[in-house]
Amino acid sequence: MINFQLNNSPVEVDIDPDTPLLWVVRDHFKLKGSKFGCGMGLCGACTMHLNGEAVRTCTLPISAVQGAVITSIEGLGTPDNLHPLQQAWVEHSVPQCGYCQSGQLMSASALLAKNPNPSDDDIVTAMNGNICRCGTYSKIKSAIKSVSKSGAAAMRNKESMVETFDPATANLKREANS
Amino acid sequence: MKKSSMTRRLFLLSTGAAATGLIVGCSTAGPKGKGYSAIAGAFEPNSFIQITPDHQVIFYLPSSEMGQGILDGLTTLIAEELRVQPTAIDVRQASLHQDYKNPEMGMQATGGSNATRAQFLPLRQAAADTAAAIRNAAAKQLDQPLDKILLADGNVVVGDKSYGFGDFVAVAALMPVPENSPLRSPAQFDQIGRERPRLDALDKSTGTAEFGIDAEVENLYRAAVVRSPVLGAALESFDASAALKQSGVVDVVQIKSGVAVVAQSYWQARKAATSLELKWEKTELGSWSSESIYKNFTDSLNDSSQKGLECCNEGEGDKLLNQSETMVAADYYAPYLAHATMEPLNCTVAVEGDSCKIYVGTQSVQVSAGAAVYYGDFDADKVKMHPAFLGGGFGRRSLGDDVAEAVAIAKQSGRNIQLVWSREDDMSNDFYRPAALVRMQAGVSKQGLIETWAVRRVGPNIMGHMVDAWLEVLAPDYLNKGFTDWLSKLGHPLFNRFVADASNGDGIYGDYDTPNKAVRHVTQDPGLRTGFWRSVGHSSNAFFKESFIDELAQRAGIDELQFRLANMKNNPRLTEATELVAAKAGWGKPLPEGHFHGLATHSSFGSAVAQIAEVSIKGTQIIVHKVTAAIHCGMVVNPEIVRDQVEGGIMYGLTAALYGEITLVDGVVQQSNFHNYPMLRMADAPEVEVHIVESQEHPEGVGEPGLPPLAPAVANAVFKASGQRLRDLPLRLG
Ligand code: FES
Ligand code: FES
Repeated sequence: MINFQLNNSPVEVDIDPDTPLLWVVRDHFKLKGSKFGCGMGLCGACTMHLNGEAVRTCTLPISAVQGAVITSIEGLGTPDNLHPLQQAWVEHSVPQCGYCQSGQLMSASALLAKNPNPSDDDIVTAMNGNICRCGTYSKIKSAIKSVSKSGAAAMRNKESMVETFDPATANLKREANS
Repeated sequence: MKKSSMTRRLFLLSTGAAATGLIVGCSTAGPKGKGYSAIAGAFEPNSFIQITPDHQVIFYLPSSEMGQGILDGLTTLIAEELRVQPTAIDVRQASLHQDYKNPEMGMQATGGSNATRAQFLPLRQAAADTAAAIRNAAAKQLDQPLDKILLADGNVVVGDKSYGFGDFVAVAALMPVPENSPLRSPAQFDQIGRERPRLDALDKSTGTAEFGIDAEVENLYRAAVVRSPVLGAALESFDASAALKQSGVVDVVQIKSGVAVVAQSYWQARKAATSLELKWEKTELGSWSSESIYKNFTDSLNDSSQKGLECCNEGEGDKLLNQSETMVAADYYAPYLAHATMEPLNCTVAVEGDSCKIYVGTQSVQVSAGAAVYYGDFDADKVKMHPAFLGGGFGRRSLGDDVAEAVAIAKQSGRNIQLVWSREDDMSNDFYRPAALVRMQAGVSKQGLIETWAVRRVGPNIMGHMVDAWLEVLAPDYLNKGFTDWLSKLGHPLFNRFVADASNGDGIYGDYDTPNKAVRHVTQDPGLRTGFWRSVGHSSNAFFKESFIDELAQRAGIDELQFRLANMKNNPRLTEATELVAAKAGWGKPLPEGHFHGLATHSSFGSAVAQIAEVSIKGTQIIVHKVTAAIHCGMVVNPEIVRDQVEGGIMYGLTAALYGEITLVDGVVQQSNFHNYPMLRMADAPEVEVHIVESQEHPEGVGEPGLPPLAPAVANAVFKASGQRLRDLPLRLG
């Protein structure tokens, strides 16, 4: 049995321990926003946050997730309560086919949570692992910049909190990041 | 009997005042001959529009949304004539029905960049007639003269009173639906041409847009297929005993393309698939490698006894080639390419007795349904299609091979299954953009006018492979299977020997005013299957043509821009685009140290595109800093999407120009994933600027035309920067 925190809820799952997190989230927990693109950590379509870091979940075995805090695109924001980056994505009309965009948003939000005012190079470094076959890179860049400029990323409570997960009690502790 | 599980709310556009939400579900064929299921009390004037008593306008989208923005574009047309905000319309992907056939293609399919062009008038007419019907009903119900009844912002306005559309649907449903109602004039347009973020942006930014791979049904098992390493080889024998022992595996079945493992989870199916032992028969393709293919093409190119098929013969053809002041000749090559859609192919099938539901992202609901009928042996009226968003199409999702495999697995294992191709499956089982080796020859006058244009092309065709794939699934029911199989095999000899495949000639001779033209294609096909790849024949032909035009200009000692303009006097659209891009990019003006401009111009899918690439060289690395583009595509429905499509075409084209190459060793495709078939990433993505030529002409294509000029624009800049004329794709400096 593996216990972890998924989008602010404690969850547990009994599954082959080498199953990648991506498939657990998609097919077991039925959260379909994270996508499968390559299965080799090469495209970023499957990106989620593990303890706040952007990780490729297609190569991350579920056994390595024990006790971790996982956020998928569903936990980043919802149509009624958009993360500032999602708002920017809509305003900049970023997506084309849209298939890569959950992963793009998870990489971008992990970047801004750490570095609210990234340089162009910082953005490229953080985003270079995410392929967009439709070629939306320039819009992704400007959407990220529009958010970083307004400083909106830092305002988001969730991103400025430190979250710790206690597997014994399956409780999530949130503390202000000092 | 069937509850509509498709009316899930996917869109809730929180931006915009009139936002009531946009639903993407799909229609299921309903009564009264309409393409959708009836809704109690709704006004249902045609298969595209329903208006409910609670004022909801529902639009059934007849084209597939694969990133090109057709959901936005066609919804805008409805909104314009119906006087409703586009954000207030519920959009549902249309299921299979004859009313949703693309009027130009005669089948229900999306491709060839024609969806806006072909449906610009019919859809507006459907909406205008619906608007007229609502007004007529309001006039009758309120007993007011028709000219007092106005439609505005989704309301019926009479004097200072305002009503919802739904107030009149009951009366409208009893009155005849008007025909040929007047359409709004371009001067009146307030939705068409408006700058606005695309309607599906919110769903696609929140992970709520549903792609084929996201389908879930009850009791769903997952399947993985192992296919022959040499594409198309038949299975000799297999041993599944080890696979069957693996955790979660419930079945192993043989299907036409290989062997499928069915398991409780995708990961279990994928892992168990590696322990299958399979033996494949030898095929002709297995004797070919990239080197031998290239040599075969070269021998054929040089063997003048191989006449090939004529794609074009105008004026004196190539007879006068040697009589011009200058004769220039050069050979060019373009390799096989994979589509690499971001979403690997997949299909979900739910079987209920003798009927089935198919969940798939497809460019042709019709082809996909045909595949289910043929390969699952279902009656046509027992197949219910549930089309979803496509995680990229680019021509790949038009074959039905995903559905063919999935229905066969579901049928044989007697289970609901989801088949997901791995990236490796996707890369090595594509219908590839055909390779081509080409000899370009031209006779140019002293004044720099092209007098003769002669092309000899060698390579495989597309149509033979497409007929193979399509005939089975599109053939009418009265043809029996054996006959269809036999007929489909006729495709190859037909296109190889008798009928020129039009895509071979696409865009290789049309743009310039040459009086004498001859284009011939010699078919040499090692047997690797080929298909439509974004912009099809234009994708390689523009590279050949536009690189060669630069060579002609340089030989004539004339500026490449002036040379083109002088030779395209009969091509006003391309001239306008070319002049615009030259002005915007500053052609001939100084550039930063070490930077060089390359120009290419090309018409395809009704539109004209000119591009200028700004390039520098670092060692042997080609750096593309910026691409400026101008497009003439007639009237524009959503300028944002036109710019995005041109930019997307540039990025797709740049991936091909810099990296794209599928190679074979003993018939086995050598590329498997993004490490050996790399994609352009953000670090290497150039700045792109797209300008649109103002036009009131009928809309033309935008999904593909942005791609073809990119490779030659870059190659032409590389020549300026390095002195090396790169005539083979991908572009590699020596
Ligand atoms: S699917 Fe995980 S990186 Fe591509
Ligand atoms: S939007 Fe299609 S892959 Fe990025």
